[in-house]
Amino acid sequence: MTTPTTATSHLAAIGTALPGDPVDNATLAKVLGINEEWIEVFIGTRTRYFARDLGTGVVRWSLADLCAQAAERALAAPGTDPSEIEFIVLGTATPDTLMPATVNHVADQLGLDQVPTFQLQSGCAGAVQALGVAQAMIASGQYRTGLVIGGDVCSKHLDLGRDVSGAAPGDLVNYVLFGDGAGAAVLTDEPRGQRVALRHVLNRFTGLGRKPGQIIEWFGLADRYDDRQALTEDYKAIEESVPVMAGEILWEMLGELDWDADQLDYLLPPQLSGRMTRRITEELDVPAAQDVSCVADTGNNGNALPFLQIEKLLERMTDGERALAVAVESSKWIKAGFALEKI
Amino acid sequence: MEPVAIVGIDCRFPGAPDTGAYWDLLMRGADGVGEVPRQRWDVTEFHSQAGEEGRTNTTEGGFIADPDAFDNEFFTISPREAAAMDPQQRLLLQSAWRAVEDAGIAPRNLAGTRTGVYVGIMGNEWAHLHLTDYANVTAQVGSGNGYCMTANRISYHLDLKGPSLAVDTACSSSLVAAHLAVNALLAEECDHALVGGVNVSLTPALSIFYTQAGLSAPDGRCKPFSSEANGIGRGEGVGTVVLRRLRDALADGQRVYAVIRGTAVNQDGRSNGLTAPNRWAQQEVLGAAYHRAGVEPADVVFTEAHGTGTGLGDMMEVKALGHHHAGRSGRPMALGSVKGNLGHTEGAAGIAGLIKVALSLHHRVVPASRYAAKESKQLKLRDHGLRLLKAPLRLPTGPIVAGLSSFGMGGTNAHAVLESAPAARPEPADGAAPGGIGAAVFTLTAPNADALRRNLLAQADAVAARRVPLGPLARSSNRVKTGHRHRFATAATDTRELVAALRESADDPDLLARLSAPPAGRPRIAFLFTGQGAQHPRMTAALYAQSPLYRRFLDEADAALLPHTGRSVRDLILTGDDAVHGTRWTQPALFAVGYALGRTLTELGVRPGMLLGHSVGEFAAAVLARALPLDGAARLVAARGALMQELPAGGGMLSVRAARADLAAWLEPEPLVGVAAVNGPTATVLSGDLAALERIGAAIAAEGITTRRLQVSHAFHSPLMRPVLARFAEIADEIGGTVPELPVYSTVRGRVLDGEAMDAPYWVEHIGATVLFADAAEALLAADPTHLVELGPQPVLSGMVRRLDRPAAGAGPAHVLPVRGPESAGRDLAEALAALYRGGVEPDWDAAYPPGERIAHPLPPYAFSTRTRYWARHSVRTTGPAAGPAAPASVAHREPETTAASAAVRTLDRPGGPADPVADAVLDAVRQVGGYADAEIGPHDRLYEDLGFDSVMIMELKNRLEARLAGVAGLTVQDLLPRLSSVGDLVAFLRESGAAPPGPAHHGDSQENPAFREEERTA
Repeated sequence: MTTPTTATSHLAAIGTALPGDPVDNATLAKVLGINEEWIEVFIGTRTRYFARDLGTGVVRWSLADLCAQAAERALAAPGTDPSEIEFIVLGTATPDTLMPATVNHVADQLGLDQVPTFQLQSGCAGAVQALGVAQAMIASGQYRTGLVIGGDVCSKHLDLGRDVSGAAPGDLVNYVLFGDGAGAAVLTDEPRGQRVALRHVLNRFTGLGRKPGQIIEWFGLADRYDDRQALTEDYKAIEESVPVMAGEILWEMLGELDWDADQLDYLLPPQLSGRMTRRITEELDVPAAQDVSCVADTGNNGNALPFLQIEKLLERMTDGERALAVAVESSKWIKAGFALEKI
Repeated sequence: MEPVAIVGIDCRFPGAPDTGAYWDLLMRGADGVGEVPRQRWDVTEFHSQAGEEGRTNTTEGGFIADPDAFDNEFFTISPREAAAMDPQQRLLLQSAWRAVEDAGIAPRNLAGTRTGVYVGIMGNEWAHLHLTDYANVTAQVGSGNGYCMTANRISYHLDLKGPSLAVDTACSSSLVAAHLAVNALLAEECDHALVGGVNVSLTPALSIFYTQAGLSAPDGRCKPFSSEANGIGRGEGVGTVVLRRLRDALADGQRVYAVIRGTAVNQDGRSNGLTAPNRWAQQEVLGAAYHRAGVEPADVVFTEAHGTGTGLGDMMEVKALGHHHAGRSGRPMALGSVKGNLGHTEGAAGIAGLIKVALSLHHRVVPASRYAAKESKQLKLRDHGLRLLKAPLRLPTGPIVAGLSSFGMGGTNAHAVLESAPAARPEPADGAAPGGIGAAVFTLTAPNADALRRNLLAQADAVAARRVPLGPLARSSNRVKTGHRHRFATAATDTRELVAALRESADDPDLLARLSAPPAGRPRIAFLFTGQGAQHPRMTAALYAQSPLYRRFLDEADAALLPHTGRSVRDLILTGDDAVHGTRWTQPALFAVGYALGRTLTELGVRPGMLLGHSVGEFAAAVLARALPLDGAARLVAARGALMQELPAGGGMLSVRAARADLAAWLEPEPLVGVAAVNGPTATVLSGDLAALERIGAAIAAEGITTRRLQVSHAFHSPLMRPVLARFAEIADEIGGTVPELPVYSTVRGRVLDGEAMDAPYWVEHIGATVLFADAAEALLAADPTHLVELGPQPVLSGMVRRLDRPAAGAGPAHVLPVRGPESAGRDLAEALAALYRGGVEPDWDAAYPPGERIAHPLPPYAFSTRTRYWARHSVRTTGPAAGPAAPASVAHREPETTAASAAVRTLDRPGGPADPVADAVLDAVRQVGGYADAEIGPHDRLYEDLGFDSVMIMELKNRLEARLAGVAGLTVQDLLPRLSSVGDLVAFLRESGAAPPGPAHHGDSQENPAFREEERTA
């Protein structure tokens, strides 16, 4: 290995995958019997994508399918070559199976073999954690190129058979907030392809003594008939804490990088829902930076979000520009973020 | 300066009822500021956006919850006196108690010591309200007033005899108090110091003052160093810290939150104006504190600023700091102020900052400063070597130095330099006495059962929240949670079990009654040592395995016996050898077990006031009574067993359910049979030649009396023992024996030994004499022991005592059984100790824990009752305090939740009067959507907070309003959202928007409203 041990990671290519056609609020309202205006006013998400057929409930894409599709697109981009991939890291909260880890199916679908694979069990921060692991692996000098993937299939919990007309907002929101999707990036130890340097990755647990803001249960043979809500969120805590945490992430990273807020060209804010993301972005108050968001159109598809945002970012980013992404995983209050600079 | 340690903390601030919540609030960057509670004053009466004369420009501030709650019973303060006390005094008193507990000190242990109390306080509003009501100035009103005697009251109730003073230097009061306390500790005026600060806003006076002085933030929020800073918001709070010289704290193994390295106080002198901040004086006080602490400005990693969020104040402070820090190399110094979260807590501001800095150093992370994201560019912080904390700052390992400023409006400035606590973890000293009983005893005391329950739950929650080490936790409970009448104690072997026991005890009155008691008086403990028959293979082996303490003493007994037995009695017991039933081994084995149990208990601080041993049990009793040395007793009992073992077989024992006297006729013709023991009125044991026993037994049984042959190798206490007497006497003569130093109830004499030595003749007589257990036990019981502790491999004597014919005089003594049977281990011993503690024994708790567990472990402090509440009669009016005859000084009441006179409020404030159809329609719709009954809703009710509305309900509410009112259909949800703070707000908005009751025609329309119909279907 001739690479110095402090090699900077570079984002060479990106790819994303959204299943099927977008589902708009009118369709969703009709299928679920929910008030369409309520979705627009309180959630602010316009469309989302589901891996499961909304009419029949049939699963059309697995998480592995979506992740492999996204990775394939990233690997097809100029400046990347599938044969160079030396490791794969996948972040997801909704693996297809507990075993084998979905990342291995993705490798299989991509025709990759004899590479280390990692899967990080995590919510919205998983993609950033995957970036962090990849960054450390490349910085170690042992690896030069790797594939970082994030994806989620939230529609696993979209129970189409349920009558939600009497449901409380906290329950109802789970039906309209989420979506499915995946994203992937090729990371290299030298500027190639997109030539975007990964300047900083923040990943920090800050939930000591705090109740989770979000829980996704999993069920086994012994408790599969338990009457537990599969997905619960403490929206009040999320609404209160996420904007504050987002601000702290932003300012901490700016401080670490010694970047001035005025020098920031793009801000990739946390993608909770159309409405919350708008609010958080306003509160972050970095007017110099252009907001790069996707959730209003893609729905909250968890670990796919940062990749969808990066994809949008790369359409606009020019040499020398800087972007900073902020993500908050409210499950156990994880702060995450990363900084990009195009060179 | 010698460092001073902060060892205890307690506080309450807006949005944070305790220290943990305060830290959480800081780390979340949360906002503690909210509307002025109705209990304080009517905001509408005093509010003027323009800040007109006599008015304040804000309706918000940082208010603590439940300022009226006070556990007067706990402090034995009468309701009348409590009602006359300034709530600041009440809050301080409770906070002081909790801070001392947090320091790992039982407050009663400070009683009588020269502990100092220093309180910073500037608000005296209670006095303004009450001392002008001349007709009602009582003795209590006088002493309960404002800052009259705030510190003194703490000293009084905690019985602290060091300096005790309240400090008023306006906003810097509590940091100046800390400065004085530090100096007093260094001057050795006191060894502990409590530093408190308190502020409660009872009237809008200061808000009006700030407004009139142009210093009041319209939103009631301080925004330190922010471009949006526009003045002061008032905040409330109470906080106490416990200070000690660092060396003392370390020597005692106390937890140290942080260390105060240096403090300084100065004055602006004749500056630009009495209330104007002075940059030069601030700069000097910073320099003086750095100098005293012996640090360079560049050493300071972060500073908790005064940071009131006024343009001038922030600028002066930045410049003063800049003087010292502008030239720093490397990163600028981090800066923040808690005032962004709480508002300006005035008299408590210094303590709020001190606690924040101490917690930051303790947790090794400095919380972000609220509003820092909008840093004021005008302040040019970076040019002054400063950076505002926009995100929490993680502190690296190693010593960290921090600064803390507090400036008084009158020009008294204070600054403190703190440092992280030294890394040295308290380690048990080498050669610490071994200890540990194999289980933990968790204890808690409280003045009454309710308080016990409340505190059990508080402790259970804390234990359940996180993995905690059981031993240190329980030991801390033993050390800190003491001093109250009702004693709770329970044994536990893991924390999960402990949590369950605590919660069940709180829920189940019967269980609570079993596990808690108010000791009736001084405990009188009797030790009863079990005799032959109770032995079994592996007796107490489980306890030996679990309890280092028991192990130590069984080993000690074994070592004493070994030269005389030739084989380890301990090993014989532990290996489960059946030879233990042979009297040669039975006697030394029982002696070893009895001795080890007795010594284990005395080591635990259980001191017997009387002793009794059944037959061979008397040897252990004699050792504990210091009538025989351990070695002598070991030799004696080994010889006794060995000699008896040598006797030929052919002897036996017969237990008879009959009185001794009734057996005389059968015994007379049988010289080879004697009465071995009289264990009770109808419990007699005969002993002697087997053939003779056979004859007697048959005769007795023929009379219908129950008899039972005992499984013994020999006829103890019978004429058949005579052959061993001479040889035994030879050995006994060599050993001797003295008069016991503790009362021994002898089973040879059937009474307490009265100046009689337990010497060779006594022990020789002991072999053949009838065991007069019943008489000895009767005599012992007559001396009124409170607890009978049976020491042996299994309980035998307890049952015999219960069967004695005693006159029913009260409940009788409690039976305590450290060993309950073959499976008994640490838990039973711990339960015995728990029972003894409940009964009034003061154990030497350290012996119950291995040295490694003797470390301080923080417990939640005492949870005070919030049941009784005291507050001023609502007399805060624009016209000044009313002193009408019908207005008593203050009111005390229970069940505070019902204080709001909602009915009156409703009729008074309802827009448009009682016949307002828009209001009626809204109230109606709100009731229907929320499922409330007619009377429950009023205009003041807040839709989200009070009525629990959520977004789905808002949608439904809009539909219902459309159905009920004309002119609403055009409104969107977005139009409504900003006007949904309260029902009244919504009514006002709808009226502004031209909503009107539907006419007859409208009415028909509204019934047709499709949205409404749809909602009705889905509702």
